[in-house]
Amino acid sequence: MRIGVFTCWCGENIARHVDCQKVAEAIRNLLGVHCSVDYKYMCSDPGQSMIREQIRNGKLTGLVVAACSPHMHLKTFRKAAEAEGLNPYMVEMANVREHCAWVHHDREAATAKAIDIIRMAVAKVQQNRPLAAIRVPVTKRAMVIGGGVAGIQAALDIADAGFEVVLVERDPSIGGKMAGLSETFPTLDCSQCILTPRMVDVGQHPRIKLHTYSEVEAVNGYVGNFKVTVRKKARYVDITKCNGCGDCWNKCPQKKNLSEFDFGMGKRTAIYVPFPQAVPARPVIDREACTMLLKGKCGICAKKCTRGAINFEDQDQLITEDVGAIVAATGYKLCDIGKDEGRYKGYGEYGFGRYADVIDGLQFERIVSASGPTGGEIKRPSDGKTPKSVVFICCVGSRDDAKGCGYCSKICCMYVAKHTMLYKHKVHDGQAHVFYMDIRAGGKNYEEFVRRAIEQDGAEYHRGRVSRITEHNGQLIVRGVDTLVGEAMTIEADLVVLATAMRPADGVESLAQKLNIGYDEYGFLSESHPKLRPVETNTAGVLVCGACQAPKDIPESVAQASAAAAKVMMLFARDELTREPEVAEVNEQTCAACFSCVRGCPYKAIDEADITDRQGRLIKRTARVNPGLCMGCGTCVAICPSKSVDLAGFTEQQVYAMVESLV
Amino acid sequence: MSETQTKHDFEPKIVAYVCNWCTYLGADLAGTNRLEYPPNIRILRLPCTGRIDFNLIVKAYEMGADAVLVSGCHPGDCHYTSGNYHARRRWMLFRVLLEGIGFDMRRVHFTWISAAEAKKFQEVVIDITEQTRALGPYGDFRKLLEAPVC
Amino acid sequence: MLNDLRQTARQLLADKKVDVVIGYGQADPAGPAYPVFITRPEDTEQLVFNDRCYNNLTTFLTRKEIRAMGRAAVLVKGCDAKSVVVLAVESQIDRQSVVVIGMACNGVGQPSLAKCRTCDVHMPRHTDMVIGQAADHAIEAKDRYAELAEMMSKSASERLAYWGQELSRCVKCYACRQVCPMCYCERCVADKNQPQVIKTSATTMGNLAWQINRAFHLASRCVGCDECTRACPAGINLRLLNLMLAQATEEQFDYRPGMDKDAQPVLGCFSVKDKECFIK
Repeated sequence: MRIGVFTCWCGENIARHVDCQKVAEAIRNLLGVHCSVDYKYMCSDPGQSMIREQIRNGKLTGLVVAACSPHMHLKTFRKAAEAEGLNPYMVEMANVREHCAWVHHDREAATAKAIDIIRMAVAKVQQNRPLAAIRVPVTKRAMVIGGGVAGIQAALDIADAGFEVVLVERDPSIGGKMAGLSETFPTLDCSQCILTPRMVDVGQHPRIKLHTYSEVEAVNGYVGNFKVTVRKKARYVDITKCNGCGDCWNKCPQKKNLSEFDFGMGKRTAIYVPFPQAVPARPVIDREACTMLLKGKCGICAKKCTRGAINFEDQDQLITEDVGAIVAATGYKLCDIGKDEGRYKGYGEYGFGRYADVIDGLQFERIVSASGPTGGEIKRPSDGKTPKSVVFICCVGSRDDAKGCGYCSKICCMYVAKHTMLYKHKVHDGQAHVFYMDIRAGGKNYEEFVRRAIEQDGAEYHRGRVSRITEHNGQLIVRGVDTLVGEAMTIEADLVVLATAMRPADGVESLAQKLNIGYDEYGFLSESHPKLRPVETNTAGVLVCGACQAPKDIPESVAQASAAAAKVMMLFARDELTREPEVAEVNEQTCAACFSCVRGCPYKAIDEADITDRQGRLIKRTARVNPGLCMGCGTCVAICPSKSVDLAGFTEQQVYAMVESLV
Repeated sequence: MSETQTKHDFEPKIVAYVCNWCTYLGADLAGTNRLEYPPNIRILRLPCTGRIDFNLIVKAYEMGADAVLVSGCHPGDCHYTSGNYHARRRWMLFRVLLEGIGFDMRRVHFTWISAAEAKKFQEVVIDITEQTRALGPYGDFRKLLEAPVC
Repeated sequence: MLNDLRQTARQLLADKKVDVVIGYGQADPAGPAYPVFITRPEDTEQLVFNDRCYNNLTTFLTRKEIRAMGRAAVLVKGCDAKSVVVLAVESQIDRQSVVVIGMACNGVGQPSLAKCRTCDVHMPRHTDMVIGQAADHAIEAKDRYAELAEMMSKSASERLAYWGQELSRCVKCYACRQVCPMCYCERCVADKNQPQVIKTSATTMGNLAWQINRAFHLASRCVGCDECTRACPAGINLRLLNLMLAQATEEQFDYRPGMDKDAQPVLGCFSVKDKECFIK
């Protein structure tokens, strides 16, 4: 090795407490050190030129720059070396500024320590090996999981930028929760009116491939090169033949199934489209409700279908999609407070599920919606009577550690205000009461909106909690407290609407495990950094947006979806990704194939592999690192008992050389 | 380590294995904030506490360290998601073995120090240095180094 | 019992279900039994089983030369059966292709070995069959580690002095490694010299570094067959090192290696709730 050591004064910063000339002299005699010089500013142009000249003239094969933190200037000096034809990974830094000159004021001791720090770096660089950046091809095709408003936005943005998108939706139609909302705050424009054109855009987009009634089964690969297996659930309707005429569902005799789209407030047939504007507007047969599938009797839909689109023999299909990036936009559900579920405790005291006239916010949306089961007339579920007194209860589940959700669901304050207005607009002689803990109306025109609900539409807001709801002769007796008045109060209500907590959609944990991304204690997907990387995850190439990451409203979900789409486009703007080569590699000769590393790798970057001879006979098994996935943490190195895996840049050789230099 | 001449009779040697993303940056910040601490510590930068093999700790004492510090990101903050959790579990057991063979547990330290905790870094280093100085050189252990086998 | 064993082995070989039966033979009824590798049905008469059958035969399952013989049946005592479980979890054996013959055991050695006095698996578990009958009784966790209590009551420097004394006798013959069913690495880290992780020079420190390494590589994996202790020509009580980690593993993770074949291993895994009172 011919190592050059360059000790920087950093003006006075280092030189004040470290005798740089003495350091340079002491280092000059170390084995392998060809030259050792000190200079006022190594990172300056003349400093870098001097280093480059020394590399050139001294035919240096390794470089140690003793200066500031590697987090500050390692890249600078690696670039300088590269420009001179020296492999950038043959450059190490000795941090004699932050870790020495700046923190030790005893000049002699600081100088001695600086020499030690540089000796360590010299010992390390002697074990460095040239590394080449890893190049990974990029499949310029994205997958979006979830077809709610966030998924729709992300898919359209990416597709409009010129890239293909595969959109996977679990339900028979895209649209998500937003498709079922009545009107949206703070403008009170009709939700379907703004969403359905976007849904049609998705359905007709030449670059969007839509898999509805489908779920992600498995995810393999890594950034730029994912292979996603999608389960297309048996629909029993060939949507390429079907023209959506409606003869089948109009004649289906099984009419009493609860409609998922109406959150159980309405009924649907066994063969159905979830709602008239569905995309695709093609029916699906509910295999749990169809008597033909259950008992082999009926088949009326097949007889009525003039296109022969009904296929009772249909099976689930597994298809594989190659994509370069994945956006998770799986959305939310409302907390079911009627029952205990793991950490989440029910609100038996509110009678949800027992009293027909205690409903949640999304159910109320369907009751006020013009396309809802009541045609937009507000009628209560039990007897169809128009409720003259409605109580809305905020923070049901949310902000209640005892019930399992410690967080604020963020949108409820706003939609409760909206509900009181919609109610008042339809039932002029009705009275809305709201029990709230705090009104959180941060957002453009949000506070004004809440004030309108109170001041113009006369909603009565009571700051306090409801302790119990009971039923008496068809009336709901709501017992609560108004803490501002300081009195317990009882309200007789015809209908109670609970603003229940937002929780991540069912199955999100299992999806997160497939994607190898994190999730919090509630199941919300984890972003990579709460401020600076809000849509990225810890798995490169996997992004999140919408309410699957945390409770959020429509504008925020859409903004985040566009952000995720922008990140995908950034990735697709290049033909190849280059990655840091400081990744792990297995010595397959000595690997004992215990696969502890496979279990421990935080990135699932290590696979079990077979080594076979030419005839395909197994010689041995081994662990194998996928350099496209490895992030270089080195957890595998510490786990491996035989040290058959090593981490480039921090190899066992390098690290032990450093420790051993401390004699 | 080079001889360091100061007012003290005994200058302990302290080896610190730290992760690149939290404690190393915490030490950088201590520098930026000019938080002074004793010069006895030698910092080895590793990508993650998950990378720190137990044999490295043994090696440090073999090389004459009087105390060892292992430090990384707080739980939940790991740059690599979970390397520090693996490390934590490893040390849960490794400490037991060290203690069992009669190792002086006052000479091995584990901390979580974030990139922002410059002050904590300074305090930890001062603490460890002073504590180790009070304990004196790790003679019991060094004897083993020299003790020939029969 | 012996007839059952020989009959079973004979049948397995005759039916070509296995190519070799790894069992115990004994030339001198007063001496210890030794491993035998029976490949012909007629040789099964050599098989014995008694309280002199010390070896943990599962260590042979991962050996290249034994693998080359074909499919194996192996005799296991309750303690040895646990190593079969660990080997399967660690992908070292295909559990389906090994026939594990459990032998009911009331302890080996006269007097019984230390491990037998706190044994709660006289009837082997997770085997394909068990020959013989023995009664199991539950052992309290503290009794399993009673020997440690005495050692831990000493001061740290007394303990270090004890191990310094003990390990000064170690000759690094690696018998402890050779005999251990869990030491199956193709190249032990002790034999790696770039870098030299474990000091090779003949000092107590080097010996200690080796034993620390060996014990910790067995942490939460050692099934407590104590073969290392039995094999050690210097008579070092290696069992104590293994017990320390076994106790910690049981106390902190409620895990005993090889007892439950579906339990998640301790290392290479983690829980966000792991205790960290020792971390400042």
